Amino acid sequence: MKNPCQQAKAPILAVEGLAVDYRLRGSSLPTIRDVSFEIQAGEAVALVGESGSGKTTTAMAIAGLLPPNAAVSGGEVRYRGDRLPIDDDAAMRPHRWSEISVVFQGAMNALNPVHRIIKQIAEPCQLQLGMSRDEAIARARELLELVGISAERGRAYPHELSGGMRQRVMIAMALACSPSIVIGDEPTTALDVITQAQILKLLTALRSQLNLALILITHDLSVVAECCDRVMIMYAGRLVEDGSVADIFANPKHPYTKLLIESIPNPEHGKRMVRPIPGDPPTLQHRPSGCAFRSRCPSAMPVCATEVPNLKRWEQGRVACYLHPPMKHEEKALANA
Amino acid sequence: MTKLTAESRRHLRTQAIKSFLRRFLGHNGAWLGLLALAFFLVLAAMPGALVGPLQTAITATGDFLIPPSTQHLLGTDEIGRDVLNLIVHGARTSLTIALVSTVISLIVGITVGMTSGYYGGRIDAWLMRTTDFFFVIPSFVLALVITPVVLEVIGRGGDILGFRPSLFVIILVIGSTSWAFVARIVRSQTLSLRERQFVERARVVGTNDLNIMVHHLLPLLVPQVAANGALVVANAIYTETALSFLGLGDPLQPSWGTLLSLAERAGAASSGAWWYFGAPGLCVLIVSLGFVLVGNALDDTFNPRRRAIP
Amino acid sequence: MPDAPDILRLENLQVHFPGRGGVLDHILGRPSAAVRAVDGVDLAVRRGEIVAIVGESGSGKSTLGRVITKLIQPTGGRLLFDGDDVTSMKGFSALRPYRHRVQMIFQDAYQALNPRHTVFDIVAEPLRSLRLVTDHTQLTQRVRQSHAAAGLNPPEEFFARFPHELSGGQRQRVVIAGALAVAPDLIVADEPVSMLDVSIRAQILQVLMDLRQQRNMALLFITHDLPVAWLIADRIAVMYLGRVVETGTADDITFRPRHPYTVALRNATPHVRGHSDREKLPALKGEIPSAARIPNGCRFHPRCPLAFARCREDAPPTIEVGPEHTTACWLMK
Ligand SMILES: Nc1ncnc2c1ncn2[C@@H]1O[C@H](COP(=O)(O)OP(=O)(O)O)[C@@H](O)[C@H]1O
Ligand SMILES: Nc1ncnc2c1ncn2[C@@H]1O[C@H](COP(=O)(O)OP(=O)(O)O)[C@@H](O)[C@H]1O
Ligand SMILES: [Mg+2]
Ligand SMILES: [Mg+2]
Repeated sequence: MKNPCQQAKAPILAVEGLAVDYRLRGSSLPTIRDVSFEIQAGEAVALVGESGSGKTTTAMAIAGLLPPNAAVSGGEVRYRGDRLPIDDDAAMRPHRWSEISVVFQGAMNALNPVHRIIKQIAEPCQLQLGMSRDEAIARARELLELVGISAERGRAYPHELSGGMRQRVMIAMALACSPSIVIGDEPTTALDVITQAQILKLLTALRSQLNLALILITHDLSVVAECCDRVMIMYAGRLVEDGSVADIFANPKHPYTKLLIESIPNPEHGKRMVRPIPGDPPTLQHRPSGCAFRSRCPSAMPVCATEVPNLKRWEQGRVACYLHPPMKHEEKALANA
Repeated sequence: MTKLTAESRRHLRTQAIKSFLRRFLGHNGAWLGLLALAFFLVLAAMPGALVGPLQTAITATGDFLIPPSTQHLLGTDEIGRDVLNLIVHGARTSLTIALVSTVISLIVGITVGMTSGYYGGRIDAWLMRTTDFFFVIPSFVLALVITPVVLEVIGRGGDILGFRPSLFVIILVIGSTSWAFVARIVRSQTLSLRERQFVERARVVGTNDLNIMVHHLLPLLVPQVAANGALVVANAIYTETALSFLGLGDPLQPSWGTLLSLAERAGAASSGAWWYFGAPGLCVLIVSLGFVLVGNALDDTFNPRRRAIP
Repeated sequence: MPDAPDILRLENLQVHFPGRGGVLDHILGRPSAAVRAVDGVDLAVRRGEIVAIVGESGSGKSTLGRVITKLIQPTGGRLLFDGDDVTSMKGFSALRPYRHRVQMIFQDAYQALNPRHTVFDIVAEPLRSLRLVTDHTQLTQRVRQSHAAAGLNPPEEFFARFPHELSGGQRQRVVIAGALAVAPDLIVADEPVSMLDVSIRAQILQVLMDLRQQRNMALLFITHDLPVAWLIADRIAVMYLGRVVETGTADDITFRPRHPYTVALRNATPHVRGHSDREKLPALKGEIPSAARIPNGCRFHPRCPLAFARCREDAPPTIEVGPEHTTACWLMK
């Protein structure tokens, strides 16, 4: 397991101070702010947060696929040390799919219903890699086998496949140009537990087989436990905690992470109760000042209302909360004054 | 409910209407169409005040078939009536026929389409067979069948609400041939709406079929119906023109179609009296185009993703 | 609770949909196999009890919920509510007393709410439709109470809103408030939390658990998530391809599952704190077959890691393996 503090190897992907705004009816809404993290080759990192927290926006920004009403307003993304032109669609083209590729949220329901899936997998190979038709078909068959679908099934149309199968097709498409980073945006959210387990197993197997770095986006903390090394928790557009899976579950530091873990029913815990987090996450239009979580936080302090806590290194990971490191008495008095 | 919520509800509604108008009027076509329609509606609303009473052979003010001049802006017809006078009065007749028959066809079309789509099965099969019959039947043939019936019921001489019985024949004929189009559209919409889960919920909470149709489905059908309703009016104007041209109109209450028919009989085309058939022809064209433009703009506003057919 | 009378009883209940073969089948007049979505379910829910139905998608859970709420008619078996046979009851007025006592909560609250109706009208709809109130004051009173019970506070703030102005959790609360308005004896909840975020999920589960405490209302809770079922339910019934394969108390099913399918479900469930005590049974292979092509013998045998000859030939009977614990598996014989 990799330690996030260990800086020995150069990271394959480094995101620094990323900020994205959406323009909506004339006003510009800050959506993600100050997102910074690094990923090593072959590492699996989960990005966890409630819907609306900005996970998809982060993924799209990294892949240079933001919608036209979005703008990168700060920060940069580096791939193997080189800055990626994430706000220039044309310049991003050589990097996308062959270095970083994305399994889009809900895209398995957007496969073209009138084409056989083999054709839909072969097409990007033809366009991106300049393969001939036959080469592309051969590559598509290879990809299908890779994701656990027999090549003969490639003749099927999307509606003939179950949700799990279609998600496998999406993964095959993401792998077409042999990327070294795959971003999976909620790849199992619409699936039932058995299919979810199969897809997660597939992703884990592909990761070690192809030495892929994986960014797994999900709102469900429990799915990351078995297939990721590291977890980043996002709340209202900011990273609030980052640490190894073992650390996060055994010793969560941010109050949000703690509550998130406690709100998952856990039979192994024995007690039949959950502790819901009160309230709803803030909407884009109504992000509060200071720490965005404070209205739902049981240990909010006056200082939380004034200034956004920074994501600081603490123990094995990083956390953005005034509780960490614990303030000395006089500091606290000063901050709360 | 408290006053506050009632107020905020009203506020929401005005907001929604404002945003709708903003998007609707963003279409150039909508402006053009609305302007044209407003102009003709004004004509139709007060023909007497604008050009005086409808001229007859006795009250005709001009010579026979004189071309446009300062005295007769649109010339005169073969018995010396002022064509402008006829056109303005014709606007009232034509628009009334078109609008009333559209209302009929919307009421019948929505009822039939919604019942058919909602219940499905045998009811759907029978209603749709009936719809198809009306869909293909030529309006002229229907008019020939209906005319004696209506004249029998109303009597030839009397008038209803200021309109003569033969106009009712035309209204009925247009109404009963154009509802099928509406019914088809409403049915296909209903078919997809009834699968929506809120219909299922309505059934679970004990709402009966009539209320589901009126309170759940109808409000969601309004956009489609409004957009297509405008096209129905345009079509009604054409049909009215065609029927009157074929001689079903009432010469004592001339519509644009009747004027065209008179012009044709007077040999206006061969004698070079272009103003006589050109004026009503242009009016028909402009008004129906106006409705089509408005309809397309409505369609675009309600379904921004589906571009209207060019 | 174990001795409370049954509020709902299903006896060999069946729902078969006419098969929809391909175009070719249609042209050649080949009969297509019926879709046996629910194929002989026996189940009882006691007054005030929470029973969870667990199974992967395609196992017929929603169809079961729809037949209990009388959205579709069963094609076989019996459906008993509070001792009365309601199997063939249909028609708006005949169903009115039933609707008054059985309500439903839906998976996707956004789809289940009419986008043109305000929250007030949505919650008031059952009261108006079933004519349970006579005047507007009374109506407002009941609607306000339902809002509060579903955790929509303060109620007045929500009355004039439209569904798109609510968060996902609030929308689901509106659906719950609507179901509560008529004070039903049984609520069928079809995956009510699976579309929600984890933190909101816990809120909704809490609301449902509180309601049972306060109102002694029975709940049939459909889910594919075993930990959620364990949390909320007194008993769990595991469903596979139209049949119940195992029933037992929530603890029995979660900690002492007997049917290989239940074990597989448990193993597939991701756990927050590792998976120390899980037996290493090989993961389930393949996918659930279509309900139009149910395998012979035990319907689970093609995917069962422990299947033997008998499983391929005969369907196993339901066997009692402990108090309130039954399973349909030849291994238990
Ligand atoms: N194209 C868009 N235009 C305007 N706002 C958007 C757009 N896409 C997403 N948003 C808003 O940005 C926020 C973050 O969205 P997203 O990144 O999709 O979150 P997540 O993936 O975590 O659910 C949300 O509040 C969402 O409403
Ligand atoms: N109206 C219907 N017509 C035909 N088949 C149906 C219908 N509804 C459900 N089915 C089929 O019945 C089976 C069970 O579906 P469902 O009850 O939705 O399962 P679940 O809710 O457990 O996912 C599926 O194979 C599904 O395709
Ligand atoms: Mg997302
Ligand atoms: Mg279902």
